[in-house]
Amino acid sequence: MQTHLADWIKDTPEGIAAEAILRKCVHCGFCNATCPTYQLRGDELDGPRGRIYLIKQMLEGEPVSARTGLHLDRCLTCRACETTCPSGVQYGKLVDIGRAVAARKLERPWFDRLQRRVLAGVLPRPWLFAPLVTLGRWFRWLLPASLAAKVPADAPAAGARPPIRHARRMLVLAGCVQPALSPDINAAAARVLDRIGISLVEAEGAGCCGALRFHLDYQADGLQDMRRLIDAWWPLVEQGGIEAIVMTASGCGVTVKEYGHHLAGDPAYRDKAARISAMTRDLSEVLQAERVLLERALETTHETTHETASARLDSRATDKPDARSIAFHPPCTLQHGQQLRGVAEGILSAAGFKLVPVPDAHLCCGSAGTYSLLQPALSSQLQADKVAALQSGDASMILTANIGCQSHLAAAARLPVRHWVVALDERMAEMESFK
Amino acid sequence: MLSPLVDAVRAAAAGGGDGKARALRIAGGGSKDFYGRPTAGEPLDVRGYAGIVAYEPTELVVTARCGTPLAELEATLAASGQMLAFEPPHFGGPPDLQPPHSGGPPGPQPPYSGATATVGGMVAAGLGGPRRQAAGALRDFVLGVTILDGRGEVLSFGGQVMKNVAGYDVSRLMAGSLGTLGIILEVSLKTLPCPVMEETLQFEMPEDKAIATLNRWAGQPLPVTASAWCAGELHVRLSGAPVAVSAARERMGGVRIDADAAQRFWLSIREQSAVFFGAEDALVRPLWRLSVPSTTPAAALDRIEGARLIEWGGALRWAASGTDAATIRDVAAKAGGHATLFRAEAGLRERIGVFQPLAPAALAIHRQLKAAFDPHGIFNPGRMYAEF
Amino acid sequence: MGDPGVNIERQAQVRARLAALLPAESILFEREDTRPYECDGLSAYRQQPMLVVLPANEDEVRAVLVACHDMRVPVVPRGAGTGLSGGALPMGDGVLLSLARMKKILSLDPAARMARVQPGVRNLAISEAAAPYGLYYAPDPSSQIACTIGGNVAENSGGVHCLKYGLTVHNVARVRGLTIAGEVVEFGSEALDAAGYDLLALMIGSEGMLAVVTEVSVRLVPKPETARCIMASFDDVERAGDAVAGIIAAGIIPAGLEMMDQAATRAVEAFAHAGYDLEAKALLLCEADGNPEEVAGEIARMSEVLQRQGATAIRVSRSEAERLLFWAGRKAAFPAVGRISPDYYCMDGTIPRKRLGEMLRFIAAMEAKYGLRCPNVFHAGDGNLHPLILFDANVPDELHRTEQFAAEVLEKCIALGGTITGEHGVGIEKINQMCVQFSASELALMRGVKAAFDPDGLLNPAKNIPTLHRCAEHGGMHVRAGRLAHPELPRF
Repeated sequence: MQTHLADWIKDTPEGIAAEAILRKCVHCGFCNATCPTYQLRGDELDGPRGRIYLIKQMLEGEPVSARTGLHLDRCLTCRACETTCPSGVQYGKLVDIGRAVAARKLERPWFDRLQRRVLAGVLPRPWLFAPLVTLGRWFRWLLPASLAAKVPADAPAAGARPPIRHARRMLVLAGCVQPALSPDINAAAARVLDRIGISLVEAEGAGCCGALRFHLDYQADGLQDMRRLIDAWWPLVEQGGIEAIVMTASGCGVTVKEYGHHLAGDPAYRDKAARISAMTRDLSEVLQAERVLLERALETTHETTHETASARLDSRATDKPDARSIAFHPPCTLQHGQQLRGVAEGILSAAGFKLVPVPDAHLCCGSAGTYSLLQPALSSQLQADKVAALQSGDASMILTANIGCQSHLAAAARLPVRHWVVALDERMAEMESFK
Repeated sequence: MLSPLVDAVRAAAAGGGDGKARALRIAGGGSKDFYGRPTAGEPLDVRGYAGIVAYEPTELVVTARCGTPLAELEATLAASGQMLAFEPPHFGGPPDLQPPHSGGPPGPQPPYSGATATVGGMVAAGLGGPRRQAAGALRDFVLGVTILDGRGEVLSFGGQVMKNVAGYDVSRLMAGSLGTLGIILEVSLKTLPCPVMEETLQFEMPEDKAIATLNRWAGQPLPVTASAWCAGELHVRLSGAPVAVSAARERMGGVRIDADAAQRFWLSIREQSAVFFGAEDALVRPLWRLSVPSTTPAAALDRIEGARLIEWGGALRWAASGTDAATIRDVAAKAGGHATLFRAEAGLRERIGVFQPLAPAALAIHRQLKAAFDPHGIFNPGRMYAEF
Repeated sequence: MGDPGVNIERQAQVRARLAALLPAESILFEREDTRPYECDGLSAYRQQPMLVVLPANEDEVRAVLVACHDMRVPVVPRGAGTGLSGGALPMGDGVLLSLARMKKILSLDPAARMARVQPGVRNLAISEAAAPYGLYYAPDPSSQIACTIGGNVAENSGGVHCLKYGLTVHNVARVRGLTIAGEVVEFGSEALDAAGYDLLALMIGSEGMLAVVTEVSVRLVPKPETARCIMASFDDVERAGDAVAGIIAAGIIPAGLEMMDQAATRAVEAFAHAGYDLEAKALLLCEADGNPEEVAGEIARMSEVLQRQGATAIRVSRSEAERLLFWAGRKAAFPAVGRISPDYYCMDGTIPRKRLGEMLRFIAAMEAKYGLRCPNVFHAGDGNLHPLILFDANVPDELHRTEQFAAEVLEKCIALGGTITGEHGVGIEKINQMCVQFSASELALMRGVKAAFDPDGLLNPAKNIPTLHRCAEHGGMHVRAGRLAHPELPRF
């Protein structure tokens, strides 16, 4: 596509990056087909191709108004468009640049600013967020309905963490909101990895990965969060003995994997960030790499088959869905952001779960970080569509891979929604009890 | 020769001494004179402009002039193992059934040695035979035309290639236009290889069950290429690779009928020499052609008295019926289709019209199109609709 | 803030009229909002529309048309904006009518194998909805993930399987449309034909110039039991072209017969990871479908022909996933070129298959003449070529050279007895070449066809059919297949 970037941005690092991305776009429009907001709104301006155009005209120096800001805000950053794009347009990186420029050029209304400030202030701080969730649970009856739905039911019990006993060790990120909402996830991950001879360790002082503030118009603060996390991890990484950094929330995973990109302009952190990104793995990647060990741990094949068959018979008798029949929701940050498709699903089916087909699995659930709070109308439509799709088969449970999607779906789903590693952990424990 | 036709049209358009344009009745072999409303006008025989202009089997295209006998065209294609897949009916002339050649594929054969049908008439009538249900209509095979319009100009549209979207699709518009838009001088048609093998199965079943069964089969990957139901008997033809045909036969059941008899049977449907078409005297009981969605239940046609024959997987219903035209047309329209007074004495065709009346907006477009092609209204006036 | 090309006063007048008919959020008029609509899939041609309207149903479409007809405002309909000929290029004094919001599947009758859909439904969405019944909608243009059925009707879109399954015109039973005056016209029917002239055939491929599509009934066909695809490598492009003729000569009509040259496969492989043979000068994809044994037989026969014609390697898809992967690469071919070039110009000529070699030599000569690269992707079975001229719109003069290159190729198609467009439409892009392909009288007749539907010339004017004036400017002499048509007749 032809571009004429304005002088004020042309030769800056972001201008150069934006131009390179824009030039790859051939305006074919394939991206709109898999864009959740285009599907809902049918307006070019609410699809990736139109947003690319809006960003382009802003960078070309055309006057912009709050409407360009609105269309950029409506983007979920799910990056389904990147999966669809045959031309290799890095939309996610372009929209980061576009939002940063828009934030500089446009003043948001005070309420919008306040909302973002509160979210950016609270969510990344576990010491602040956790007590608020508890308060929210107590005083749910006082909250407006829209917010009340967001406050999760009591957090599931985490269960015991195995002692750090193996020579093979990996770092795990606790995350900011996950410990308060679903402390069972990292505990389950630790138990599953412990069974195959890997111990998970958490670093002191590790906080938010930076994604929350970065995507709330506080890109500089987001980068600060990233540096802080690198600082917390670095001594352990330097020490050696850490094989990888494991991510149990794909939303954090996609961000940490891109630290190298985000901090490329910071000479003090550039190399550390690149090293951290290179070491970062989604939990599914870790287990996939250890597939042999995992399958050995799962080796109770004949019992499994027998037991599954009898479970099916039971379910037919009682007309209830098979307890092991699940609907998997691949988070956008996993399938599009990290381009990991089918990995967690493959592990689950190896463990004896039956995955029911889910229509439109490529579409976002509407959670998208703080999107569900900032764009409630679009978000709840996507949530309703996603829940309907996940519950259209005969699944007895919904599994996913990111805390954001998990709590968002749980607020509307009839079926229980859990992290897949929690289900895997339970399955392994159950099989051990058979042995 | 083209010049005499051009001269005749230009003269007719210019008119006589009074300056009034003279109507022309475009005439070929006359085999389809019965079809459409009667039209007055001075006959203009176009059979002199004849011959196959180009035929390249590997390009799957044949180009022929309007006067070319259809029988000649089909024989030429058959010699290369190809066919006109829409199985155009010839009509007219005495039935002269030829035995299928032994051993080889049962390719289409010129049905009547004395048949008079021409290529131009075939396109102008736009009719298809039994294979239409699977292969498509005549218009689906038209790739290009050269026409002589009402100003006496020779114009070409489309071409000899499989895909062509340059300009409006005037070529396909000519199919079935009954010569009212212009003289079809030359046409290029897509050809297809003859099926390697064909088999016909026979079933006993009532009308409703036949309709349901045909639709069920059509929803499955089965090589059904023709079907006909009449008086409790359903015939279905399968075509294709021997393995596909035999697999389908096993799935569908029925009684396999002898190849010669099958050939004769489908010819009798295509050429309307079957007992059903001949038993009723068109003068007493006109033959109606109802084109409806294939799933239209038999009961939807209850208001039409008389015998019925079903083709095209349920999408074509023939009725030899004395029921009044308004009722028949209403039945067809309610079912989502249309009715044609296919064969009847000329007076009736003139009086009640042949084709389903058009909605006002569509009629206006028809008239304006007619005026664009034939501004003086010289070609076959009234043959399609009394209004133009 | 208005566009210099848009008359603000006129815009305000028309906007006021439309504001009474549609919700405010369905009318875009600020430059910031309308500029992203300035082009369709052909971004080399751009024009900011006076207004963009996004109606949600047929009543709103009718209201817009009646108002525009009344005020003599041109209307350009648009679907997903994926067209490659500029057919949805807006007009500075016109309304761009987006049908993208009308995307409901109104009914799907598996017994009658018919789906009734609104124009904004995506091509692929129809097949997805039909899949549970073992049915699908056959035409599969490469943009099928995104393009809409309304756009397919406007362009008579093809696809990679149309040699066996036909184009849009062969698979659409009925179109409901509105004339510019807002009158409803039913084209075709859900039976196999309709009374009167075949207006449905005329409507399909009319580039939105005769009526605005508000509803389409499409035929669904049963999914073949199995399909398998051969990927054959050739060390010479012309030899691959001959192999195509060889397959047809053997009496086989493959379900798909596609060709890509080396430059194209290399661009595509980076996106699709389809396992294409990157060393081959040309790849042929040949598909057989049907009953498993029948498919095995046809694959064997085709392999034999390909081998005889000098294929250097033959691979047959081993699974449905692999077969889809072979096609995924082919279908993404155009945009994948975005990886190797900032811009591309896609041509769409069709020629008799036997002239393929000659055409390829000609294109190679043009690459040298204009100093531009041109990978090739073909629907080889149909003789439909998609040479992709690579250029950089930021380099002055490259677009101009590209246009000249393309014009020469299109005119060569006509000279070889073919056509300038097989499936993408004339749009704005090939309008000058229409003067070469058709005589003045033929174009006049086509203008008569347009006038029969739209006497005031308001619906997508300036596309498809050039004016006499434009042809005089282009200066091209109408010559068909290298000779003047009917030289024996006196000319007017």
